[in-house]
Amino acid sequence: MRRMTMSRATILATLGLVFAGFMAEGSLAQSPLGIGTSEPAVTVSGPFAGLFQWINTHQQAFYRSLTDALRAMREDGSKLWLLVGLSFAYGVFHAAGPGHGKAVISSYMLANEVALRRGVALSFASALLQGITAVVVVAAVFLFLRGTAISMTDATHFLEVASFALVTAFGGWLLWKKLRQMMVTADAGHHEHSHSHHHHNHCEHGHVHDASCGCGHAHAPDPRLLGDKKLDWKAGWSAVAAVGMRPCSGALIVLTFSFLNSLWLGGIVSVFAMALGTAITVSSLAILAVYAKNRAVALANGRSWGNLVHHGIELCGAFFVLMLGLLLLGASLSG
Amino acid sequence: MKRNKPYLIAGTMLLTALAHEAHAHPHVFAEARLEIIANGEGQVEALRHVWRFDDMFSSTVLVDFDKNMNLKLDSEELKEVGSVVHESLADFNYFQIVMANGEEVEMAAPPEMMADFSDNQLTLLFESKPKGDLRLKGSASFGVYDPTFYTAIEFPDDGHMQVENLPGNCKLKVVRPDPDEAIAQNQDMLTPDFFEDASNNDLSKIFATRLEVTCDE
Repeated sequence: MRRMTMSRATILATLGLVFAGFMAEGSLAQSPLGIGTSEPAVTVSGPFAGLFQWINTHQQAFYRSLTDALRAMREDGSKLWLLVGLSFAYGVFHAAGPGHGKAVISSYMLANEVALRRGVALSFASALLQGITAVVVVAAVFLFLRGTAISMTDATHFLEVASFALVTAFGGWLLWKKLRQMMVTADAGHHEHSHSHHHHNHCEHGHVHDASCGCGHAHAPDPRLLGDKKLDWKAGWSAVAAVGMRPCSGALIVLTFSFLNSLWLGGIVSVFAMALGTAITVSSLAILAVYAKNRAVALANGRSWGNLVHHGIELCGAFFVLMLGLLLLGASLSG
Repeated sequence: MKRNKPYLIAGTMLLTALAHEAHAHPHVFAEARLEIIANGEGQVEALRHVWRFDDMFSSTVLVDFDKNMNLKLDSEELKEVGSVVHESLADFNYFQIVMANGEEVEMAAPPEMMADFSDNQLTLLFESKPKGDLRLKGSASFGVYDPTFYTAIEFPDDGHMQVENLPGNCKLKVVRPDPDEAIAQNQDMLTPDFFEDASNNDLSKIFATRLEVTCDE
């Protein structure tokens, strides 16, 4: 009884976090002023609103301090380290608040991943790419897009739509893959007699962790056993690209201001400090997602509904990615 | 068994958050000034707004509208800024909420919006008139608020909300609602649906910084 409650709490907490990020993003509003770029104004209601509010208060405080530090740098270049520190802290809190990056990566981890190290790698790669995208966009705007019909808002919007479309496609693909895999598994289940021959295959794919599989420590299989490595990395990179393509608006604003005031180094360093902070938070959440999932699967292991839990979580993960993509895409296109 | 406790705590902690509602998290800041112009008879002729935006946001506006790439916003470019904002804010009643004796007062759209750029900061100026007859009699309140939470419109001190030609029998009071208190007081009203509808004036009624004018008979 007690075990049941615990596994439930774990799953609930993880799914809840992912879900909250997903709902909050749904209410992204276009600027009522019709001009400029800003951090999106997000109204969070429902689950976890209190938590997000707390996070956001801190994020906002760091944002104000970091912009103050940037202004101070105009007079005194030695403020660079202060700026780096504040940008990093901002990144940590920024990623903890509602955001698509965290939600996509965590859902993807729920759907697919068992290797923690890869979750961390994916989180860092996507955050880094987000930083690079921001620098490229602002540099392009600054150097040759200014004066053309393409404004920074347009460029950002284009990347946003592309990113969300990619998230949608990725989610759909992930869900399709999961469903197909489940069907194959179910099919294999009917041929109980030949189980021993399939045994190795099962484990290689790393997706069937029922007691009969014999993988034992199903919650942490050796990454080497993870079936089609190439395909998995391709999936991982798709997640990174989908997330990293959309620059964070905080970074865009800081860079624009820096470039306008010839604070080239300050702006770029600040953005990558933000990315590092973001990466750390997203990795923690990805780790939490994997850990919670493995925990739930381990607890359910050996029970008649053990497989159901495992597949349920993975399907939910894939489904969340798809829904997240659709919702964001819809909001972005109608905005 | 002990090892598993953190999950229970984490789960409980996260679920406790269910009970709360979140609100404004703007990242655009504008320093505002509101002047209410009354005539000698206490009739309100116009509301004059000045909003000065923070330099971070302003710089993103600059790169978007700097058509001739001289790193400045010239008068033509500023005109364009003004007209875009003018058009966009029409859906939001220009962030104004005017009440007279408990009734909402309809405001006419301002004829235009002037934009200025100096010291790295964008300033918007506009004047809005009441559609009908509005007199400073009984109680009236003039609020300024962005119901989408996008812009934090801040009046640095009470002197930034003023009435020109204030009748002698009227008193002024600037009210800055505390978001937490406002939420606590309006708990039943603040459903997720309520927040969904950004053009909902009720939101401004609750959260807007406002100037209350109370006049004795």
